[in-house]
Amino acid sequence: MVTDPYSAEVRRLFAAPAHAGTLPGAETVRAVAQGVDVELSLARDGDRVSALRFRARGCPHFLAAAEALCAGYEGRPVAELRAFRAAELVERLPVPIDKTGRILVLEDAVRSLGA
Amino acid sequence: MTAPVYLDYAATTPVDARIVDALPGWLAADGAFANPSSTHIAGRQAAALVATAAEQVASVLGCEPGQLVWTSGATESDNLAILGAARYRAVRGRHVVTMPTEHKAVTDAFRQLEREGFDVTWLAPSPDGRLSLEALRQALRDDTQLVSIMHVNNETGVVQDIPGIASCCRDRGVLLHVDAAQSFGKLPIDVAAWPVDLLSITAHKIYGPKGIGALYVSGRPGSHIAPLFHGGGQQGGLRPGTLPAPLIAAFGLAAAIAADSMHRDHDHLSRLRKRFRDAIRDIPGLRHNSPDAGFPGIVNVSAGDVDGESLMLALEPLCVASGSACNSARHEPSGVLRALGLDDAEAQGAIRFSFGRQTTDREIDFAAARYRAALAKLREIAPGDAA
Repeated sequence: MVTDPYSAEVRRLFAAPAHAGTLPGAETVRAVAQGVDVELSLARDGDRVSALRFRARGCPHFLAAAEALCAGYEGRPVAELRAFRAAELVERLPVPIDKTGRILVLEDAVRSLGA
Repeated sequence: MTAPVYLDYAATTPVDARIVDALPGWLAADGAFANPSSTHIAGRQAAALVATAAEQVASVLGCEPGQLVWTSGATESDNLAILGAARYRAVRGRHVVTMPTEHKAVTDAFRQLEREGFDVTWLAPSPDGRLSLEALRQALRDDTQLVSIMHVNNETGVVQDIPGIASCCRDRGVLLHVDAAQSFGKLPIDVAAWPVDLLSITAHKIYGPKGIGALYVSGRPGSHIAPLFHGGGQQGGLRPGTLPAPLIAAFGLAAAIAADSMHRDHDHLSRLRKRFRDAIRDIPGLRHNSPDAGFPGIVNVSAGDVDGESLMLALEPLCVASGSACNSARHEPSGVLRALGLDDAEAQGAIRFSFGRQTTDREIDFAAARYRAALAKLREIAPGDAA
């Protein structure tokens, strides 16, 4: 039997990806692996994240994770963004074990920001 | 519109209201609950109901009631036909033929035969999804015992030339099994005119209940099959077990209704298909996987630039399929679509819309608009050309 594979949180983030988009002139990175594709755009105000946007192609959990990442780190120090760990979203959303590799692609993209 | 919009009729259908009304009476103590094999009055009442249903189903196929073996559905019928025929004829030869575009109930039965040492030839479809009769002729060998080809493909609606395939097989003395789960009661079938040996059907695709199907067995010399189950000897020992008379009666009524409404249903589905296709025609980047000559109740389209799982979620509250319903819990590319030449991305992004007797113009318009919006949303948030 098939149960709903998506939590209410995943459904909410997937339905309204308010942070989908690009930031013209901002620092942009892209990661493609594990069947997903993500582009992150980071605008800074000093050492803080003034805006974070994504474009992505992937499963609902991946799109929800990208939205959660961008929504969660705007206004926070860039250093905290750099310390982002996929595990926090895997646990929070949650993300099925067989999809955790995709969320690690998001972590890789964050790591390469400012690299 | 937020209530579910059901466009997955190729997976299963709601039970016709006339059957819903009749079934409780057949299940009740004064109905047909008894064992139809029993000789007492109650048993004979149940047997009479089964006999009527057999006549109703047989008349749709063009066969005799005695040529039907009741099963639990098309999956069991497919397995009984394929495993039963191959095993019975194994002493004559161990070569069997099918296509990779068949339903899992067929392909998995053939994989079981491979494990038992049979030599399986998997015939690739032509670009239009059909089986080339010349390719079939070339595949048949002196030791070929069985060919299994479906009538209407459950994912694309492709209609195979069963009379032509049957003639090829009969010319070479090879048994032909046809999975007609998608066509029975929807397209004309005439086993009296088509030299088909075995044919699988089920009730739940024609607005009958789940749990009841049948296998047509021609009974011509050399067409015997071995049973899968062993027990009380019912149905000539071919499929023993107490017959579920109420379900069989429901199947019979569903078949009679389907026969009566077949042409109306076909016209209705053809009109809905045109309406839907017209409504999505200008969406860029779509691949149409269902041929114009296919069964009109199935429209399969794919977009290679979106994730299929996300597309399915974005399409809610549409109830559609991302492949065969039996596969939808897994997110593997459809083997049927891969065999038709789609790449993994196109197959993953494929959606099967399937329409039925109750589908309305409003639902078609809603589905087209929802599909357009879902694709637009996913494309809008996707990165540009691949890095």
